[in-house]
Amino acid sequence: MGYWGDSLLTAFELILGFDREVRMAVWTSLYTSSCSIVIAALLGVPIGLWLGLNRFRGRQLLIALLNTLMALPTVVVGLLLFGLLSRQGPLGPLGLLFTPLAMIAGQTVLAAPIVANLVLAAVTGADQRIINTALTLGASRLQAAIQLLREIRFGVMAAVIAGFGRVIAEVGVAMMLGGNIRNSTRTMTTAIALETSKGEFAFGLALGIILLSVALIVNLFLNALQQR
Amino acid sequence: MQPVISLKDIRVTLGQNFSLSVESLVLQPHRIYALTGPNGAGKSTLLRVMALLLSPQAGTIEFAEGDSRDLARQRQRVTLVEQTPYLFEGSVTDNLNYGLKLRGINSRERSERIKATLAIVGLEGFEQRQAKELSGGEVQRVALARALVLKPELLLLDEPTANIDSNSLQAYEALLRGLPEYGVTVVFSTHDPSQSRRLGEEVLRIEGGHLIDGSRRGPQNQTFTQRSSVHGA
Repeated sequence: MGYWGDSLLTAFELILGFDREVRMAVWTSLYTSSCSIVIAALLGVPIGLWLGLNRFRGRQLLIALLNTLMALPTVVVGLLLFGLLSRQGPLGPLGLLFTPLAMIAGQTVLAAPIVANLVLAAVTGADQRIINTALTLGASRLQAAIQLLREIRFGVMAAVIAGFGRVIAEVGVAMMLGGNIRNSTRTMTTAIALETSKGEFAFGLALGIILLSVALIVNLFLNALQQR
Repeated sequence: MQPVISLKDIRVTLGQNFSLSVESLVLQPHRIYALTGPNGAGKSTLLRVMALLLSPQAGTIEFAEGDSRDLARQRQRVTLVEQTPYLFEGSVTDNLNYGLKLRGINSRERSERIKATLAIVGLEGFEQRQAKELSGGEVQRVALARALVLKPELLLLDEPTANIDSNSLQAYEALLRGLPEYGVTVVFSTHDPSQSRRLGEEVLRIEGGHLIDGSRRGPQNQTFTQRSSVHGA
């Protein structure tokens, strides 16, 4: 059947046979990405909302900073956090390096600016009458902001999903902060990089197919939300 | 009777080209006030100041009772319906429920008030209709109902008939005329001098940057303004 055909067949056997290595890599990816996107949403949504609703000196600078953070290379985030979490770093005594927690921290740094930026865009593009309508019906400023979030909920969900798409597909943070430890911090992306370099193309292909499926589902969700 | 709202020495500056100042404006309860004048004269700004959506740089706004420092509580006594109102996503009931829930009104009273208010604005049976499916005139009525259901002391309407076709105009005006019976004081802005005469028990005209002490009518006209002025540049 040839190299590709044989590899694909083996890849599907690994997927359908619920191979333990594959399962663990998928689980670690989903677990760390889900945790980091929840924290990123808790940080990013209020930041985007606050920046969208308020006008103050330095706002443009903060937005420019967010845009820069959004484009941060994953290895740079990995490098900076490595410096903080390594034994010689200020947070070294916590012993977080090469644990899922370190990966979650790094992925949160990657995802939060994306969520904040896209929520900011959703707030800026929202109907300007929403806040005043809520206020004039008796809402406090916080209640009016919550009503605005309800009205732009599809934009907010799209922001969160876009952040999830970024972290589940990244390699740099997972590799540098997780260390690619088998059954602990090995994710789909780091496993693909490792196994392929070892010549286990079929194993990498199996994980690649799953990763692609996750990305496809995420994007289908995103498209469906953007249509609304 | 105590005035519904009193404005004193109000000054609002918006950008470099517009300023509004009101020395004194006192509105009495259960009256209809018409606010007329050309575009850009400050009608909407004055309504927003009274709705406590726009904070003046100087001056005081007082309601009949209550702590004037509690802005959110004071805002619950006055409701503004914009010229092109925004209806929240969801049903007509969702929209009418919003302000009622903020006031902690229980579910039974909410549904009774919603039903009664929709009947007042001629929208019986519209409870479950989706906001996005309504026509322009229906949106205007739902927005009015959403304000009325809260039983505000002061109802502010910015160009309320601007988007209403001539067939519905008469019915809408009749509806506005009847509002003081429900204990509401109404201030509406309009471009149409004949409408201000038809509906307004008191007419307030803003022209050339000044609030003119306009054509007063009705038995309580002496309760209206005292030396109020609006400056537009």
